[in-house]
Amino acid sequence: MAISVPYLGHGVGLRPRHYPAILADGLRADWFEAISENYMLRGGRPLHVLERVRAERPIVLHGVSLSLGATDPLNAAYLTELRALADRFAPAWVSDHLCWGSYGKHYAHDLLPLPYTDEALDHVVGRVEQVQDALGRQIVVENVSSYVEFTHSTMPEWEFLAAVAARADCGILLDVNNVYVSAMNHGFDAERYLAGIPLGRVAQIHLAGHTDNGTHLLDTHDHPVRDEVWDLYRSAVARFGRVSTLVEWDDRIPPFEDLLAESERARAAETETLAHAVARTA
Amino acid sequence: MPSLALRDLQASFWRSLHSGTADPGLTGVVLPTPSLEPAARVDIYQGMYFWRLHEVLREDYPKTHEALGGEFETLARDYLVAHPSEHPSVRHLGARLPDFVENHAVARTRPWLAELARLERARVDVFDAPDATPLAATDLRAVPPEAWADLRLGLIPALDVLPSAWPVHEVWAAPTEQPAPRPVVLRVWRHDFVVFHAAMDAIEADAFSAVRAGSPFGDVCEAVAAHVASETAPAEAGALLVRWIEDGLVARAGLT
Repeated sequence: MAISVPYLGHGVGLRPRHYPAILADGLRADWFEAISENYMLRGGRPLHVLERVRAERPIVLHGVSLSLGATDPLNAAYLTELRALADRFAPAWVSDHLCWGSYGKHYAHDLLPLPYTDEALDHVVGRVEQVQDALGRQIVVENVSSYVEFTHSTMPEWEFLAAVAARADCGILLDVNNVYVSAMNHGFDAERYLAGIPLGRVAQIHLAGHTDNGTHLLDTHDHPVRDEVWDLYRSAVARFGRVSTLVEWDDRIPPFEDLLAESERARAAETETLAHAVARTA
Repeated sequence: MPSLALRDLQASFWRSLHSGTADPGLTGVVLPTPSLEPAARVDIYQGMYFWRLHEVLREDYPKTHEALGGEFETLARDYLVAHPSEHPSVRHLGARLPDFVENHAVARTRPWLAELARLERARVDVFDAPDATPLAATDLRAVPPEAWADLRLGLIPALDVLPSAWPVHEVWAAPTEQPAPRPVVLRVWRHDFVVFHAAMDAIEADAFSAVRAGSPFGDVCEAVAAHVASETAPAEAGALLVRWIEDGLVARAGLT
């Protein structure tokens, strides 16, 4: 079993600040990622822009509020809206995070960490299956940056993520920056993480910048991708081959040109890594 | 090693975020690092929770933020304790802020602040209201003169009308200046994906109120006639209609 998705090339996040540049200069990224919740609207400019973009490029829908790991029932109204959005815009895939973000009727609007236990694994697998049933499609689940580890976790994060993907038969969105940030914060080997992710499950890769706060790294999406993360990206390409890759930039957002340049840098790193792999096997 | 059931862990984590105080149940199951104790690690999440939502409120209420300066943070902290988010989209987070401001200490010396927040909330709501194609002036050329009195106008959905005891449009333009009380009626609308607001004088406010009530254009003229000489009322009402069409407010015109 695996996830079967197309290779889309190198994309960027669709952010309102870049709407004018994207619409004026043509759609110069290979594909665009839209934050699902930002388009669950009744009307107005964002939906208009998404329609224009979708007419010319593939898009994917990336959610932040599915709250896969929460222990309250899934939000049925949210799932209905997400399905309607997916039916309207036909994304290449729909993704959200391996985390929880709501408790009771309240939303934290954050990607909160799970303990990596058998109890949490059984729970998340069941939730992914429910979501896939509701949406009528496989979903893609992303690893998050985390700042705490729990005393009662019984397996490493990569083992938990791989087990969720295998048991629920979903895809993986491998956020290479999040792997690096969590590796530094918790003292594990980032390369070991990549080795624990099965081939054939990774539908997409995220790259982003983070901030070094001295005592910990923070996943801020407000910097260029750091050199250490570029190195880890090359390792990921060497292991997983060509995977649709997207650079996230959500704060202190640069001009669209700079974001595109970062995306092109990812394309160059991918091309170079794959050429080396071919040379080694020739 | 201490353990917590998933549900209990999430309850404890949420309490820590909402109260801003690390719950002992949570810190008891968080591992320390060489440089961070469990409570300091939880504090990373507490800081991210507050500042992310503070930023959402600041983006939705930029003028309220400008009027309050540093006191906005106090308002945001108190608001998030009273009204934590109940919706998957942050778009709804600040929906209750105008009513909350009305009874908050920051409004004691700024009696106009809740009205300013109401204007900002209306602008947020109009931003993503349903779409409609506005009528053009040429669409009305076919209406015969004798039919005008029975003509009913339908307005776009991306529209709100706000009566206020304060000139909040002037406060919006200069949030750090103290206004003098003066009743105004504002219309807030979206045209070509841009949100606008404008004050209406008493004639326009009454005429627009008749349109919103679904009254025929003859009643709109009567509303105008309450303010001007009756022979000039139709021309005045016609001029208002031209302005509304130019502003993209009218979506339909028909005899039913």
